[in-house]
Amino acid sequence: MRRNRVLSATAAGALLVGALTACSSDSGKDGPVTIKLVEYQKPRIAVVKKLIPQFEKAMAKQGRHVKVELVADTLTDDQFRTKITQQLHSGTAPDVIDMGGSNVTGMAGAGYLLKLDDYLDKWHGWDQYYAPAKAAARQPDGSYYSLPHEASVQSLFYRKDVLKRLGVDTSQPRTWDELIGRLKKIRAKTGGAPIVIPGGTAWGAGSWTEGFLPVMAGTGSTFYDAESRKWKLKSKGLTATFGLYHDLIKDRLLPVRDLQNPNPWEPTKYKKFPKGTLPVSAQGSWGWKYDWGPDGSAPIKDVRKKVGTWDYPALVPGTKPHSISGGGFGYSVNAHASDPDAAVELAKWLSSGKPLAKQLVAVGAVAPRKDLAGVAPYKNEPSLLEAQRKLKSCVQPPLGDGEDQVSQAVQSATAKMLSGKADGGQAAADFAKEAKELLGSTRVAK
Amino acid sequence: MAATTTVEREHERQHDPGVAAAPARPRGRRPAWLVLQRAVQYALMVLLALFCVVPFAWVALTAVDADGGSTVQVPAFSLGNFVRFFTDGDTPRLFLNSVVVSFAATALNLACGVFGAYALSRYRFRGRTTFMFAILLIRVIPPPATIVALYLLMVKLQLDDSYLGLILAEAAAALPITLWLLKGTIDAVPYELEEAAWLDGCTRFGAIRRVVLPLVGPGLGAAAILTFMAVWGDFLTPLVLLQSPDLYPLSIGMFRAFTAFNQVDWGVLAASALVYMAPPALLYIFLRRHLMRSSIGGALKG
Amino acid sequence: MQRPGTPRAKARRTGTGGRGALPLLLGPSVVLIAVFVIAPAGYGIYLALTDTQLTGFAARDPHFVGLENFRNLLGSEDFLASLGRTGEFVLWSAIIGQTVLGMLAALLLRQKWLRGKGLFGTLVLLPMVVPEVVASLTWASVLSSNGDGTLNRLLSLFGSGAAAPLQDSPMVSVVVINVWRGIAFAMIMFQAALEDVPDELIEAARMDGANALQVFRHVTLPLIRGPVFLYLLLTTITTVGVFGLVYFLTQGGPGQRTELTSIYIFQHAFRDSQIGLGSAASVILLVLLMLLGLTYARLAKVEV
Repeated sequence: MRRNRVLSATAAGALLVGALTACSSDSGKDGPVTIKLVEYQKPRIAVVKKLIPQFEKAMAKQGRHVKVELVADTLTDDQFRTKITQQLHSGTAPDVIDMGGSNVTGMAGAGYLLKLDDYLDKWHGWDQYYAPAKAAARQPDGSYYSLPHEASVQSLFYRKDVLKRLGVDTSQPRTWDELIGRLKKIRAKTGGAPIVIPGGTAWGAGSWTEGFLPVMAGTGSTFYDAESRKWKLKSKGLTATFGLYHDLIKDRLLPVRDLQNPNPWEPTKYKKFPKGTLPVSAQGSWGWKYDWGPDGSAPIKDVRKKVGTWDYPALVPGTKPHSISGGGFGYSVNAHASDPDAAVELAKWLSSGKPLAKQLVAVGAVAPRKDLAGVAPYKNEPSLLEAQRKLKSCVQPPLGDGEDQVSQAVQSATAKMLSGKADGGQAAADFAKEAKELLGSTRVAK
Repeated sequence: MAATTTVEREHERQHDPGVAAAPARPRGRRPAWLVLQRAVQYALMVLLALFCVVPFAWVALTAVDADGGSTVQVPAFSLGNFVRFFTDGDTPRLFLNSVVVSFAATALNLACGVFGAYALSRYRFRGRTTFMFAILLIRVIPPPATIVALYLLMVKLQLDDSYLGLILAEAAAALPITLWLLKGTIDAVPYELEEAAWLDGCTRFGAIRRVVLPLVGPGLGAAAILTFMAVWGDFLTPLVLLQSPDLYPLSIGMFRAFTAFNQVDWGVLAASALVYMAPPALLYIFLRRHLMRSSIGGALKG
Repeated sequence: MQRPGTPRAKARRTGTGGRGALPLLLGPSVVLIAVFVIAPAGYGIYLALTDTQLTGFAARDPHFVGLENFRNLLGSEDFLASLGRTGEFVLWSAIIGQTVLGMLAALLLRQKWLRGKGLFGTLVLLPMVVPEVVASLTWASVLSSNGDGTLNRLLSLFGSGAAAPLQDSPMVSVVVINVWRGIAFAMIMFQAALEDVPDELIEAARMDGANALQVFRHVTLPLIRGPVFLYLLLTTITTVGVFGLVYFLTQGGPGQRTELTSIYIFQHAFRDSQIGLGSAASVILLVLLMLLGLTYARLAKVEV
């Protein structure tokens, strides 16, 4: 009879659901300790997969039975950020999370991440870290919530070969005006936008960390006051930075349409830059391997010969060209991890010696510690070693609670400029207004 | 409102209603005008039909194309895409998840709905009309307006990122329509039949089983199909509630595949689309004849 | 057999099985609806009054901020623009596009002499019954900016160059897609409504010399006013809730040109972790819908 059919269908459904739920949940708690590690980028997944058995062996030698489960899911930065936020919020996140430093502030603030200070103080590895790397990882409350295993240097990458061919000067431009002059020349010859700097909402958080922030950080204006813990939303530097975006858009030097579409790095960094039609790109040092290296997303043959780097030119009078220490990924531990000691062990092991060297080379990151220069395979990477030398003289970007909200406001203000609805001054004003609303008046300086 | 007519019934009609009726006029009066009118109407019909169906050409052709691209091309016939879909990597799991969630949610929805509708139909209790009205009002709420709070609520109930949570949310969302539909259908079942069953010694539940359920078959079918289609095709709810890739249904899987940009396998994507659209399309088209007539009409009247 | 209404039958009605069965029968449904439909609505209103976020210190310690989120939203260009876009979207796709084409389809189906109506009906149904993700995917190919995208092929037949509709006219594109998707529902509703128009009236009007258009305007239309308004209400509600159809293709872009309010809510609540703000936007959306519903009801009553 129908009722029975309905009942049995429901029962069957429930059984099936139960079985499948059991299948997808993790293995039992008794026995070895299992730590879950999440990686969301292909090259990292590939290299970490091979390192895990070595870690487990190293633990076994110490008499500890530890198993590491790698959670591999290929996502964009923003997709991952949304997902890990939800997981941390609901308490179902993995134990060790490998992610960019820009995510850490917000999550640490929310209480999702384990405070690592005690562990780090007792670890000799930590003494080997460069001061800028440590400073970049220190959160507004003075503690550490991630163990950085990378550093990077943010610069302007350019196609030496293309510029030479077009007869454009390839020396370090001292000011943005100088650079804009060269860019206009390139545009006159190629007919297309010659430079890409992340901006707008489609690029997501990258518009902030890789686009706006590096330019802003070199202007000399204070953005975040660590003492009062407040953001300064109106300053000469901010106006200048928004003004720069506007000038680039006005002179049609930025690929506006590409920047407005989903995954804007695809047509720009992965198609036009390798092709040579868009010869200048704001980029972090990982670009040597992760983006344009032989195993990268969009390989360029003989990349070391064809590509060079410039520091960011000076924007505001009285400043010098600079490169920015960009972050890199760091290992954070879930505040509710069932075995935090083991999780931190994993983080420390992956951030030292050969395992670290392998990861750095796979991704094109710069070592945050002094003692990596002689470790293979890292020691064989001239571009990375060169960037590491620059690390000491890099400018530090500001770091503060509410960074996510500021990032958002930057994204929408630059998006408005891209769609032609605002000029530099209006964008700066819109930014100040929106950031204030999102941060709340307690975090905004008068 | 009268029950929706089926296309077939048209042929039974004697009169010719509607706009361009051929009136009972003397023959030969402006036949050319009439021919033109009819030609125009045929053209309109064909254009409209083409408009509706041409977009599917890509899906159909690329699904059987060995090297499918993102645009329509003459296919190099092969069923390889389907084979890959059912065996390769994560795609079979997507399909399985869609099946599990849709069937379970529909079953749960029907189980609660049929008994709830029975109660609404047969019992006169205080607040009944308010309840019916409230259910109608719920229909006004668009999913994006409650999804934020639903997500947080699910987290608090620890039902997020799980089959169970998704199934419960989907079943609940479809309940208002199911209750309305089935109440209307059950209303149409004469109470006397149940009473007769009681007189014959049945219990109340027995009477429901023997008398009511067989008669609401079409209604149950309609509710089942509507619910199944809604859950099967749902995008927003799983997008928000699920984070583990091995729980993703086809809608989310296809979204991730489509936005992967550089590495899109168009052939497999088209094959997934075909597989994904087959169940609701077939269900609806084959069964609408039997269902549309009685139950939707009943519900609409109610 | 006893007739209902007689004393014995009346006693039976509230007897066997009794009212005890009521909670058991209706209970599960009520619980499900209360927990998963009503509770979120209420919780959403509460959240809208807080500054809840998923990251940052506010996540640990959400505060009650009263109407501040609402004030922010109503002063926010982005939000108001998204409302405008949603209105545009509803107006062009639901109120105009689907209604006109759906009515056309329904009228065509009533022509006795038209052959192939079965096939026609099935084909028109197809866009409605497929999942919205598939609908978006099919149109991704049609609107492809490639030279051999379906639309571009068609344009080249007419001698026009290749177009990139999703880049240049994204709103028009999603409106067209939504119209395509909704024709079937309109057709079904209008078919039912047209049934109720008595043939005699049509005949009489024809006899009096009215042409097709006049018959439609003065005879048919007034009689189907009620169902038409009901349809308009239903489709407006559904269209305001459209998310996947647009998000799959554009994710609100390019820029924010297709950011409907549903997408705005999603982006702000989940991509930017602004739970309080997203909830407030949801509440505003609901209030607007309620107002719209009341307006429709008022209009329908006046006419019918």
